[in-house]
Amino acid sequence: MLKLSNVTKRFGSLVAVNDLSLEVEKGQIYGIAGPNGAGKSTIYNLITGFYSYEGKIEFEGKPINGLRPYQIVKRGISRTFQIPQTFPSLSVEDSIDIGNRFGNTAAYSRKRVDEVIDFVNLNRERKHKTGTLDLLGKKKLMIGAALATRPKMLMLDEPMAGSNAHEIKALMELIRRINQELGITIIIIEHFMKVLTELTETLLIIETGTEICCGHPAEVTNDPAVIECYLGREDDQG
Amino acid sequence: MFSEDTVLLLYEMSDVLIAGLSNGSVYALMALGMTLVYGVTKAFNFAYGDFFNMGGYFAWMLIIGLGLQFGGYVTIFIVVLPMLFGVGYAMEKFLISPLRKRADWENRIMMLTLGLALFLTNLYMVVFGVKLKSLPAILDGILEVGEFVFSYQDIMIFCLSLGGILLFGWTLNNTRTGMAVRAVAQNPAGAKIVGINIGRIFAATFAISTVMVGFGGILLSQKLFINPSSGGAIMVKAWVVTAFGGMGSIRGGLVAAFIIGIMEAFVGWIFGMSYGIIALFILLLGTLIIRPQGLMGKGE
Repeated sequence: MLKLSNVTKRFGSLVAVNDLSLEVEKGQIYGIAGPNGAGKSTIYNLITGFYSYEGKIEFEGKPINGLRPYQIVKRGISRTFQIPQTFPSLSVEDSIDIGNRFGNTAAYSRKRVDEVIDFVNLNRERKHKTGTLDLLGKKKLMIGAALATRPKMLMLDEPMAGSNAHEIKALMELIRRINQELGITIIIIEHFMKVLTELTETLLIIETGTEICCGHPAEVTNDPAVIECYLGREDDQG
Repeated sequence: MFSEDTVLLLYEMSDVLIAGLSNGSVYALMALGMTLVYGVTKAFNFAYGDFFNMGGYFAWMLIIGLGLQFGGYVTIFIVVLPMLFGVGYAMEKFLISPLRKRADWENRIMMLTLGLALFLTNLYMVVFGVKLKSLPAILDGILEVGEFVFSYQDIMIFCLSLGGILLFGWTLNNTRTGMAVRAVAQNPAGAKIVGINIGRIFAATFAISTVMVGFGGILLSQKLFINPSSGGAIMVKAWVVTAFGGMGSIRGGLVAAFIIGIMEAFVGWIFGMSYGIIALFILLLGTLIIRPQGLMGKGE
């Protein structure tokens, strides 16, 4: 469904993403992990048109190089940020309606707002200003606004960051439902390995923009290169 | 019932009050346009006042230059306002937007609009000459209500500006474009990921603000003279209203505009017109000392 071929992103002399190739199958939950500064969010920024790059990215067999973020959304790729990007003085339902009106506009229907609000369970807060929501509420809202655009693929950037155990459980459940009930392919960047091993079918580990390992989470987490990347080499330990 | 002197005073006061309200309503329109551009694009447009002149000159060209009579001001609005929209849209798309991709874009845009202001001032000088110009009143005559007297010109200016302000508010709150404008103003990154073409919203915002200030130019050019460099004074006035009301506060801008319009008219009536601008700066200075964030602006 999504294919990156030899993608490289340079910021001056810094190579943030280095000759990266990956393929995400339709319907799967695909995880990306790596230490801070590994280039995970940069990959999202390349796919969603925030940065230009070398190499080729294809979605559903068609190249999406050079498309701007709003055009990528209309192709069916939606994303969230680690820090919820909401519209503080707009209500929850208006914020979700924006996704509904500007995403895949060919299928616009006001009913979609109610469906999404129900789905992410924000009914009680639907008239609240988004600035007044708690962190979990803001995260659910951002996912809701993304769903309202009618994506075929949803890219979540560290959705669990700053959440407690109860919130993590609720968000994991929501992500599973998006994948299983709505049939939306999901890519998730996350630091919590437990979340990734429980949710994903394929896990990619990167460091300094380069692939370290990719495969089933159980295999990947036992890979010596991955263990070294996260814990350091044995002879580095003091 | 009243002595002759009192009646005369009431006559004059009511005339000054409606003049202040009509000026204030145009200032409100202009301040809203300025707040809109700054709030959405975070860019400061130094050529803003020159688009006030553009509205006045476009209208002058049609009424006086071409002798357009048919439909009077209705025709002017139908022809000039879309022209101003086109000019504002093109300015953002072709001049400002390319700069936005570069580092230090805020300063680059500031310098560009400063240059544009100088260019437009000189262009007006070449095309229209340095002589003062004004437009005929949209409606002549006076309305007498008991002891009070109001000029139809001021009433019309007030009503049209108010109509413009209400239309602006309605558009912002009830249309798809208005929704996108509010979203981009609050969170550009958030707006991008829900499918909003923020480049188009930036251009639309510039276009709408150009229409608002140009519309103000058409209205006020009936009362004030315009000359190639009068845009600078208008720019300062719009800025004072915006700063007095509170940068980015639409409600503050509206209240400030009417306070300033009425104050200017009464100071001008009591002390002479040239004292109006002095009072304006005293008010701004006092505001910056006592309440730097303006009437309704948010402090740091």
